Amino acid sequence: MRADTSLPLIIETKGLTKVYGQQRALDAVDLKVAPGSIGLLGPNGAGKSTFMKCLLQLQPITSGSACLLGREVGTEGREIRKRVGYTPEQDCHIPGMVGCEYVTYCAQLCGLPFQAARQRAHEMLDFVGMGQERYRKIDTYSTGMKQRMKLAQAIVHDPQIVFLDEPTNGLDPKGQAQILELVHSLWKTYGITVVVSSHLLHDVDRICEQIIIIARGRVLVHDTLENLKARKRGAAEVVVGERHAELQAACTRQQWVSELLPNGHIKVEHKEDSLNPLLNLLHELKIAPLEIIPSPNALEETFVQALEISHANT
Amino acid sequence: MPIHDIRYQHWEGAHVGVWGRRLVIARNGLMAVLQTKGVWQLVGMCWVTGLAMSAVLFMVGQLLVADSVVVQWAGNLNPQLQMFVRLLTTWLEQHPEISVRTTQNILFHYYSMYLMPVSIFALGILVPLLITRDLASNAIIIYSSKAISRGDYLFGKFCSAFALLGITWLGPVCGAWFVGNLVAPDWRFFWHSRAAIGHSLVFVVSGMIVLSVLAMGMSSVSTKEKSTPAFWYMWWIFGGVITPIAAHTQPWLRHLSFNYDLNQIAMAIFRPADDIKIAQDNIPLLGDMLRNIKPETMAALGTPAFKGAIVALAVMGLLSTLIIRRRVKPE
Repeated sequence: MRADTSLPLIIETKGLTKVYGQQRALDAVDLKVAPGSIGLLGPNGAGKSTFMKCLLQLQPITSGSACLLGREVGTEGREIRKRVGYTPEQDCHIPGMVGCEYVTYCAQLCGLPFQAARQRAHEMLDFVGMGQERYRKIDTYSTGMKQRMKLAQAIVHDPQIVFLDEPTNGLDPKGQAQILELVHSLWKTYGITVVVSSHLLHDVDRICEQIIIIARGRVLVHDTLENLKARKRGAAEVVVGERHAELQAACTRQQWVSELLPNGHIKVEHKEDSLNPLLNLLHELKIAPLEIIPSPNALEETFVQALEISHANT
Repeated sequence: MPIHDIRYQHWEGAHVGVWGRRLVIARNGLMAVLQTKGVWQLVGMCWVTGLAMSAVLFMVGQLLVADSVVVQWAGNLNPQLQMFVRLLTTWLEQHPEISVRTTQNILFHYYSMYLMPVSIFALGILVPLLITRDLASNAIIIYSSKAISRGDYLFGKFCSAFALLGITWLGPVCGAWFVGNLVAPDWRFFWHSRAAIGHSLVFVVSGMIVLSVLAMGMSSVSTKEKSTPAFWYMWWIFGGVITPIAAHTQPWLRHLSFNYDLNQIAMAIFRPADDIKIAQDNIPLLGDMLRNIKPETMAALGTPAFKGAIVALAVMGLLSTLIIRRRVKPE
């Protein structure tokens, strides 16, 4: 239940608890998280946003302790936030402000001098794909533009870690893909740790290397996506142009269960640790697959399984 | 295709200190209100009255010079009036420490009081832009996620209000004093009028602090941008209405008006009754005229409800602080 912690820890919590009245939003959370792209998964009301807010000191911690970037949350809040970016779930801009002014202002609030703030603001607006719209008032922006603006304000001061709360909410598929690609590049290309909170498994599957599953204020799973997928080996989705029936018949001969999915992919449960038997079969049939997706639903299955265990224990 | 590099660039410059960040918030608040329709007209009005005040000081200064422009004008109007003015100027010339001090103290008392309602009105325009807007738009979350504390945020907002009052109130008062004494017949006017500017500074700065805190409290009351200025103006008008009524029924009710409380503090600082007494006792002719002031008016001027005003303003400030503390949170 723990990802690789040989790297210097970026988040460390001990018995982190947050209580709202009778409700325990976080229940003694112990975590050690190394830098990377981290997916924070959980159903609505699981405690994902509360976890982020406690780390950012937007919510006071009821008990326990938390360290972010090696600094104690609660005593070094201002210093921590200088190195941290945050995109909240809801809309939160300053009305009446023009886009580039807003991002410049956010950079200045993090301590950048005006000239540098203005230059960085334009660079980040370029980076998130905002064109001339940056000279318009934010009130007039579409949801997609506001999401980009939120991302720009979160990274304008060059943070070491960025918390993104439901970054693709309200976006169309194209907008979602663009935002996810940008977020993915932050860690992959520029080395900025990204913590993405989402209930959309597909988004997290696409961009995250580490997975933390939270439910009822408790951490149920913390592992790398690779390890989670390794646990769920034995199934694959094969994309072939034609000859679906021939492949399914061959699978049946091997005593593998196969199913033609509505999207045209064939799901094969080969029950092997490796994809080699499946590849050999395709080779024998002389079928050139367009794509093979190993363990296609590993994350979803892990997620559902973790939730079921959590429900059973309570 | 972009003609420049649009990849992410790391930044390795030096950060500005926390005071710089607080000033950024203050500057942003001030700029927001100065972009609002009608504010520049108000600011202009305050500074024009400052010029008018300088002109009045020039005229008063001319009274202290034999054969000044004023004496010549008086002569053109009426020879008897010229005699009166000549007599007065002769005496005033001999006692500048009384004449300059007393005159300017009275003038600056009334000028400071004149600018106060204009400043309260201007502050009403700033009220929705101070905290209300940030609460309504959830911008408070953005502020809370940046490298500033809640105290830094509130200090920045306080400075916005303070700076606006500085432009509409303190600036014109100081400007009028400086220009008015610059055109006076003698450089010693600066020295003799030290009490007037000293009293003005103490009163105006105290008033600015009190009004800024009250405006911040009012701005935190609601998340509706139309409600908070309405509450602010209603409180002000309510105070104006209740003061004369309460004087004959429950005098303590007058302290519900911050305007009345500040008025009492002004009287305690400027002590106009003392100036009138000095004038009555020392200045020929004019002193005789001032003896006609009613005793009850003199009593009211001489015994301001200073303690009551201080307590009332302290309670209002405390309530504002509690409201701010309760309302200004990220969630």
